[in-house]
Formats: sequence, C-alpha cells, structure tokens
Amino acid sequence: MPRKILIIDDEDDIREVAALSLESVAGWEVVTASSGAQGLARAVEHQPDAILLDVMMPGMDGPSTFRELRKNPATAKIPVLLLTAKVQTSDQRRFADLGVESVLFKPFDPLTLANEISGVLGWK
Amino acid sequence: MTPSFAMKTAAQSASASASDPAKARELSAALDLLWTRFLPEIRQRADQLEDAAAALAANTLSTAQREAAHHVAHNLAGTLGTFNLTRGTELAREFELLFSGEVAPANTIAGHLAAIARELRTIVDSRK
Repeated sequence: MPRKILIIDDEDDIREVAALSLESVAGWEVVTASSGAQGLARAVEHQPDAILLDVMMPGMDGPSTFRELRKNPATAKIPVLLLTAKVQTSDQRRFADLGVESVLFKPFDPLTLANEISGVLGWK
Repeated sequence: MTPSFAMKTAAQSASASASDPAKARELSAALDLLWTRFLPEIRQRADQLEDAAAALAANTLSTAQREAAHHVAHNLAGTLGTFNLTRGTELAREFELLFSGEVAPANTIAGHLAAIARELRTIVDSRK
C-alpha cells in the first residue's frame, strides 16, 4: 500500500509541486490542504502516514497547527515535518524545539523530496 | 524521535527512484507545465518587488507595501529554487532580508533593491 502524505501549505505553487513530486517520484498518495484549519480536518479524515506542514501561513500558522495536531488524540502520533523558507539559525532552533520530526527547507528539490522524507522517517 | 535537519540528509538519502532518468524527465516536463500555469502569479510577485523598490527610491513606500513586499520576497525565495532557479532564490532572499526590519530600509539602498528586482524579473522571464 502506498504511503499517504498530507501537505499543508497556503501557497498553491509549492503545494502542487510538492504533490507532483511525491506522487510521480515515489508513487505516494497525496492529500492537500491550503490552511492550518483545513489541514487539521484532513488529518483526522485521511489519517496520513506523515504531514508536510508549511511554517508561514495566514491565520493558523505551522507551529500553531502542529500544536493542535498534537492535542488531538486522532492526530497526535502522526509524524510532522515542517517546511520553511526561513534560513536563520534562530528560526531553525525554534522549529526544532517544537518537537517536530524534522525541518525541511524551501526551495526543495522535487526529485529528492520523497527521499528526504523517507530518510528522516526511516522509511524504506 | 530526535529532530533532524533534512538538508543534511538529502545527499545521503539519494535512491534509485531519484536517479531514474525516465522519471526525472517526466517530472521535469510536469514541472514545466506547472511553471507555465503559475507564471502570471510569479510575474505579479516580481512586479510587486520592482514597485516597492521604486517606492522606496521615491520616499513613498508605505508600511503595508513594505510588509507585502517582504511577504512576496519570502514566497519567491521558496518557490524559484524549486523550479531550478537558484539565483532567483538568492536574490529574493536578499530582498526579503533587506525588508525584514520594523522600518523601511534607508532609501540609499533603493538602487540596489531595484537592481535585485530587475535581475529577478529577468530570471523569471527567461525560464522556458
């Protein structure tokens, strides 16, 4: 059975490139959401194997969405990888301290994104 | 699980699927289609940066316009490299940093910002 990934990102272009990458390179099933609130609902509904979560979103941002995911027993154990264009060390430390599995950086390479996720999560 | 940073693991995790030439070509073609679809929006973002640089030079840059330009530069920094425009990401990131303060940057750097915005625009327009 293919892996199922939920991508939560308000930017249409990034969301679609990431989805294309994971579907075509790895053959994973991809579910998308364009906001934190929509992402929370989709996570409960689809129970993905992992969530790729953008940091900077209007309304509920990535860290707030992550905290809500952890509060809900239905989503608390789903691995979350933050996706960010922030490159400053202080930001990276702050994100890592949240308790996410990993932080991936934009821009990403569409050809290797699935491998990065697999490597971080220990998927074969 | 201990947090790890995937930038460090990317090179280590290369696998057969990522190095499959047929898959790479297929992905590249699909990315070109997405680029074409999103190009009007990306051009609009580049325009916003040119407008903000011009407004700074003319001392008419409002707080709202500065914040919008900062946001747009952040978006472009994340997007352009994903479409293999690494230089575009570098320029957008520089613009983002220069616009990241609480107040507008000194208008003495307006010329530099305008040059960044122009080069960004050229990069965007020249991608096939």
